[in-house]
Amino acid sequence: MKSPIIQCQQLNHVYSGKVALFDVNFELDAGEPIGLVGPNGAGKTTLLSILSGFLRPTSGTVRLFGHPPGAAQLIGKVAALPQDARLDPSFTIAEQLVFYGRLQGMTKPQATLEASKVLEVISLKEIAQEKPNSLSHGMAKRVAIAQALIGKPALILLDEPTAGLDPINVRTVRTIIAEQSSATTFIISSHDLSELDRLCQRILLLEKGVLQTETITLNEQQAATRFITLQMETCPALEVIAKLQALEGVLQVTNPQKNEFIVEYTPVLQPSMDQKLMQCINANHWQYRQLSHGKTLEEKLFFRDY
Amino acid sequence: MHPGFFKQLLLISQFELKRGFATRKGSLSVVTFVVVWYFILLYPLRFATELLVQEKGFKQDFGFLDFIGFGSLQHWPIPEFGVLWQFVLIIFPMLSITIAADQTCSDRERGTLRFIVIRSSRDSLFFGRFVGVMVIQALLICATGLSTLALVLYRDATLFSSALPNLFVITFNVILAVLPFTAMMAALSAKVKSARQATLWAILIWTFLAGIISGFAYYLPALDFFKCLIPGYQLSDLAQLSEWQTLQLAYIPLLQGLVLLALGRWIMARQAL
Repeated sequence: MKSPIIQCQQLNHVYSGKVALFDVNFELDAGEPIGLVGPNGAGKTTLLSILSGFLRPTSGTVRLFGHPPGAAQLIGKVAALPQDARLDPSFTIAEQLVFYGRLQGMTKPQATLEASKVLEVISLKEIAQEKPNSLSHGMAKRVAIAQALIGKPALILLDEPTAGLDPINVRTVRTIIAEQSSATTFIISSHDLSELDRLCQRILLLEKGVLQTETITLNEQQAATRFITLQMETCPALEVIAKLQALEGVLQVTNPQKNEFIVEYTPVLQPSMDQKLMQCINANHWQYRQLSHGKTLEEKLFFRDY
Repeated sequence: MHPGFFKQLLLISQFELKRGFATRKGSLSVVTFVVVWYFILLYPLRFATELLVQEKGFKQDFGFLDFIGFGSLQHWPIPEFGVLWQFVLIIFPMLSITIAADQTCSDRERGTLRFIVIRSSRDSLFFGRFVGVMVIQALLICATGLSTLALVLYRDATLFSSALPNLFVITFNVILAVLPFTAMMAALSAKVKSARQATLWAILIWTFLAGIISGFAYYLPALDFFKCLIPGYQLSDLAQLSEWQTLQLAYIPLLQGLVLLALGRWIMARQAL
């Protein structure tokens, strides 16, 4: 039987009288990247710190691959990109990566080779002999991701991997995660919902330290009703809603933001709703910007009742 | 204790040695130490020794040395080591508070410890850093001993065989003397945010601990035993001893070191990184 890679039971954490996590229970299996979202102060970093063994929970049980966080059995199997953690400024990048590899049980030649490989993955092989203080924020973040890739761990916990990065570096980080996710399960904490929308098939939502009971699955293929998100150029909103509402199979049309419409429909009655929408737009001489299946992650997470 | 504990401890302590001698900050500290020690060796130590060797009235004057607390100088067969003994018993414990202050605190504040702890146990980290700092201090202590030996041999090369046991006793004793100070700094470093805070806390705790215990012991002599808890408690008695007698008090720093390391390990295991 396939056992979960992470199990949390009745997990609580209190920081100087303030509840950071309250009765968190979940189990996660290996596979596609998993997103961890929530507003500031929701407890995302606390949860990842507990999973990484940096913080002891006030109460509750946590198991990674059947072992408590920080157990010797997890060395080399679990890696992390802690938020805002920086490398030692006294040593070169290569020296530190080799040291980390050796702590994971590699010989010196193996660790040297591995350090070179992970720097190649993040396209920063040329900075191996540099010291951390000479790197830009984006480069330092990528190097921190490189240390997490050492030894191909089975689980990598990434806390805000793209925070503060420019679009080019964000894309690089996204590519690295996508490339490595066939062999490694990533848990990614982020505020960037479009980022998670692209990378993750499953989302955990934390709000005020409480994990929402249903985890959100982004795949809607089995759902009885489906959604299409339509982004238009400037258009008459009321007219658009009225005309879309009139199409066969459409259950509801909402206009959550200016020029954005969410069409809820029954796939049994209208399996090609996207084509029908395009025809309707064309017939009315409207201009559209984007049409995508499903709701945006933002809609799913924070406006679920609408 | 997991199977890789000692291997990781060794790797972490080796990395500390590299930090102590092969980084810019480390080499600068070593160079500073060498310069300061060179001047101590060249002036106070050499002149004091010459005084002891050449002063014909030395035997009659030892009462004065007793009076100022340096009576044991006359008991060392080689005066250089007598003077060295008095110097290193003061210098190295004080130096230890500075050298050992940043065992984990700045790395914890920077987040660097997280990269290490995800791939090693907290015990390996705590004891590895402690061992690394102890080895750095032991090498500095050996260097001071060897430089003093060179001074002895420069004066009289025939003293080599009789100087070696003295050198060994002093080196061993001073390493033991810095042990509880290093363990105290390891415990403090596991808790506070910077090396500066660790040093300040060490001075405050040491002063208050000494003051409070001595105060209570004045009224209740039975509490005198608790003075053993103060790192360096034995140093004033140790300074009065010479040669192999100095090992009589070796159990005190050993016990203090064990207690402080256990306390530090307890703090480290609970500390948020």
